[in-house]
Amino acid sequence: MSQRVNLNLKNELFLYGAKDWNQCFQCGNCTATCHTTENGFFFPRKTVRQVLMGLTKSLQTNIDPWLCTYCGDCSKTCPRDANPAELMMSIRRYLISVYDWTGISKLLYKSKALEIAAILVLAVIVMILYLLYTTFPSGDTAQWVGPDGGVLINKMAPWKTIHLGDLLMAGGLVFLIVTNVFYMWYKIIYEDKTLKVGFADYLRPFSLLSKIFHPEKKYAKCDEKKLFTYWALHLFLALSYALMFVIIVFFLEWFQTDKVLPIYHPQRLLGYISTIGLLVGIIYFYTNRTIKNMENSKYSHFTDWTFLILLFLTTLTGILLHFFRIYGMPQLTYITYLIHLMVLVPMLMVEVPFSKWSHMIYRPFSLYFAHLKKMALVKQKLILEHST
Amino acid sequence: MNNMEEKRIGVYVCWCGTNIANMVDVENVSKEIQNLPNVVISKDYKYMCSDPGQDLIVQDIKEHNLNRVVVAACSPRMHEITFRKALENAGLNPYMFEMANIREHASWVHTDRKEATKKAKDLIAAAIARVQWHESLEKRSVSVNPATLIIGGGISGISAALEIANADKQVYLVEKSETLGGLVSSIDLTYPYLNSAKQMIDHKISSVLNHPNISVYLNTEIEQVFGYVGNFETEIKPNGKEIKLNFGNVIVATGLKPFDAKKVLNYGYGKLPNVITSVDFEQVLKSGIIITRDGRVPKDIAIIHCVGSRNEDYNSYCSRTCCMTALKFINQIKSALPETNIYDIYSDMRAFGKGCEELYSITSKRNVMFLTFDHKNNLPQIRQASYKDSCNLLIEFKEKFSEESIEVPADIVILMVGMEAHDDAKEISHAVGVSMDGNRFFIERHPKLDPVATTTDGVYVVGTCQSPKDIPDSVSQARAAAARILATIQSGSVNVEVTTAVVNEEICCGCQTCIKVCPYTAISFKEEDGVSFVNEILCKGCGTCGSTCPTGAIKSKHFTDVQILSQIEGLMSLQEV
Repeated sequence: MSQRVNLNLKNELFLYGAKDWNQCFQCGNCTATCHTTENGFFFPRKTVRQVLMGLTKSLQTNIDPWLCTYCGDCSKTCPRDANPAELMMSIRRYLISVYDWTGISKLLYKSKALEIAAILVLAVIVMILYLLYTTFPSGDTAQWVGPDGGVLINKMAPWKTIHLGDLLMAGGLVFLIVTNVFYMWYKIIYEDKTLKVGFADYLRPFSLLSKIFHPEKKYAKCDEKKLFTYWALHLFLALSYALMFVIIVFFLEWFQTDKVLPIYHPQRLLGYISTIGLLVGIIYFYTNRTIKNMENSKYSHFTDWTFLILLFLTTLTGILLHFFRIYGMPQLTYITYLIHLMVLVPMLMVEVPFSKWSHMIYRPFSLYFAHLKKMALVKQKLILEHST
Repeated sequence: MNNMEEKRIGVYVCWCGTNIANMVDVENVSKEIQNLPNVVISKDYKYMCSDPGQDLIVQDIKEHNLNRVVVAACSPRMHEITFRKALENAGLNPYMFEMANIREHASWVHTDRKEATKKAKDLIAAAIARVQWHESLEKRSVSVNPATLIIGGGISGISAALEIANADKQVYLVEKSETLGGLVSSIDLTYPYLNSAKQMIDHKISSVLNHPNISVYLNTEIEQVFGYVGNFETEIKPNGKEIKLNFGNVIVATGLKPFDAKKVLNYGYGKLPNVITSVDFEQVLKSGIIITRDGRVPKDIAIIHCVGSRNEDYNSYCSRTCCMTALKFINQIKSALPETNIYDIYSDMRAFGKGCEELYSITSKRNVMFLTFDHKNNLPQIRQASYKDSCNLLIEFKEKFSEESIEVPADIVILMVGMEAHDDAKEISHAVGVSMDGNRFFIERHPKLDPVATTTDGVYVVGTCQSPKDIPDSVSQARAAAARILATIQSGSVNVEVTTAVVNEEICCGCQTCIKVCPYTAISFKEEDGVSFVNEILCKGCGTCGSTCPTGAIKSKHFTDVQILSQIEGLMSLQEV
């Protein structure tokens, strides 16, 4: 069945940050230089072509943008400055909106105003709930401070209340992520009728782990050597983020104590480590995107900035909250906690299922699906496996 | 014949720097050759073609009273003319010279010095044997009539006519149709600068019509041109009135015919009303409004390249101008209908030429979808769309870069038809005596070094009758031909070939075999004597008649039987020693 071409798909993709890649004349330099290209996966030339021709179906079932490591070699080699690397990232944004069956992602990506409005609305909801279910530390300051000088935080905002909110939010997020990943699988594997993936094939993904945590292998063939620093800091940031996320969502009772624990206590140590990870990461990525010193930081979509700014504000309010609490300032603690939640919740609600954050889920799954696809293609003898 | 005179031969062996000397023992060769009969002197020298080398020959001719010279050096294609001139300078007839090629035929192609040296000696011995039988041949020239006949009143013919007429020479411009201007008159804008073709050509046409030195004959065809360089004549019948024209040179500028798109069944041209050719679309553009046949503003326009070009089933050559014309169309459509989607279905974008890559570059930024197809094996298929397709036509094909099967919506499909030779190209070629290639385009004398002359002296081919080309190339050719013709008119005479064929009327049996084989129609039959006769001005000395003649009545000057046989004998002579 032939697909209808669509001249306007690329115009739509401009909203996802794509630049003018109409310049592409399919010389294939990008594919030749790309270290991700292998039998059956022709990076990134094929994707560029699908975009130019407006083959919506082929593009929506395309897994390649997720496999891209954004080393930028293709953009450097491109004789027409068509920026294939940035295109891959724009398509990622497009694909996030495709996998999101609710359609919210599409709206948020296409409109800056809507994204900001969504964040503000969520912040107001959080504020109302917070004011309804917590107590402001009025009257004598001393009754809100414990014997060790720390604020009695659970007296004003009991961990149980916050925890309930956390769990409700996490439940919603997990639901969205699971259904979106299912839709991604449906698009990439199920809808491709030429592909025959057996049930047993799904159980053999473990060799992939080495791929994810093996930057030397991943970037060995890339020209850009700064990528190793980039990879390490990105990993540090991601792990810090995950650690903090797990602590506040699942172990809030242990984390939000009235007692000021000694500085070597795991509660404080883990908190400091992940805060440092977040701060270093934010500063590094903010600087990169500002001075544009690498291919992968040359072009920023507004959603890239939103994520960084929200993450920074969350971290900053988190730090302030911590110090206001241990140095016994109940009013400031109360207000900072409110602001902290007003930034944190919208960030998670908007970024995790609908925007940039979701790459943390889609990227590993894409490797998994690509692996399945490759196994199926090898089995069907559609591609010959490299003995190397 | 002066074969009885004493033959005094000088032999010169060239080193060609190290080119020959490295592989051939030139000193030894020169010493041994000295002993051959009639060789008066034999020398070797570093560069025979240099001025001192030539002076050596001139001096020796005078000093030793030589009457024949052999130079053993490179190919005669390289330096035969050089040494003939040297002989002339020394007062000897230039044809008393023979060259032995011991570079391309010996030193360059062999690795064994001994064998190469032996071969060089054999080749020189053959040349010595041949040169004994050389005869003096005299240069001949004919006077040139200063008038010129130009066949075809398109941009090429017009340009040539104005060039010659402006030099105060008479031009007869004969045009088959009823107007001047040719195909350029039928196009709207020209690429790559999108200038109006009409403004350009109308100005030229009025200059031609008002020029005192140009006689224009419309609705007129040339049936046969008689004569030879400098002295042609023909009869034309404009408006039924017979006119006899005399002229010295002919320019053939008969132009092209657009490919008939009906031949490509896939495209449905002629059946689907909104499938039109690039020629049709020029008319649409000239009309000033782009609409479909049913009067709607097109939402999607598709352009298909290489229609009838670069495909073995139609024409295998590239028509050169269609790619740029397509880009021109895109820019014109974009300006007229900015909202219309344009799909350009091409095979390779050939954007050579001044300003053309720039045009491509600009066009590629104008939100046009460029799609590729396999022009050889997988042509697109056009079909009528159904009511739910929201377009008039659908083009289905496998896109070459992506290997995806796709369909392209279109309200108008423009077929970029290629250029073809005219149906009557064969008649024209016979009328003026030029040859045609497999695609019925006229053949130039040399594809690189002599691109406007033909093998018939005084007949030039310019413009698209020679090969597909654009306006600047056609005009360049036209003006080049004009320059060539003005040069011959200026000198008043042209040299004609010396080494022609002659018929010995006593031996000729009148079988007329030679007349059939002559590629230059230089031989005619003298009814009254019953023998063949060679027109030495038309003859190019190719030798075909000589080798075909059953009685040996035809002699090719400078390639006589005795010359060739003794050359062979000479080649074998050293073997016996």
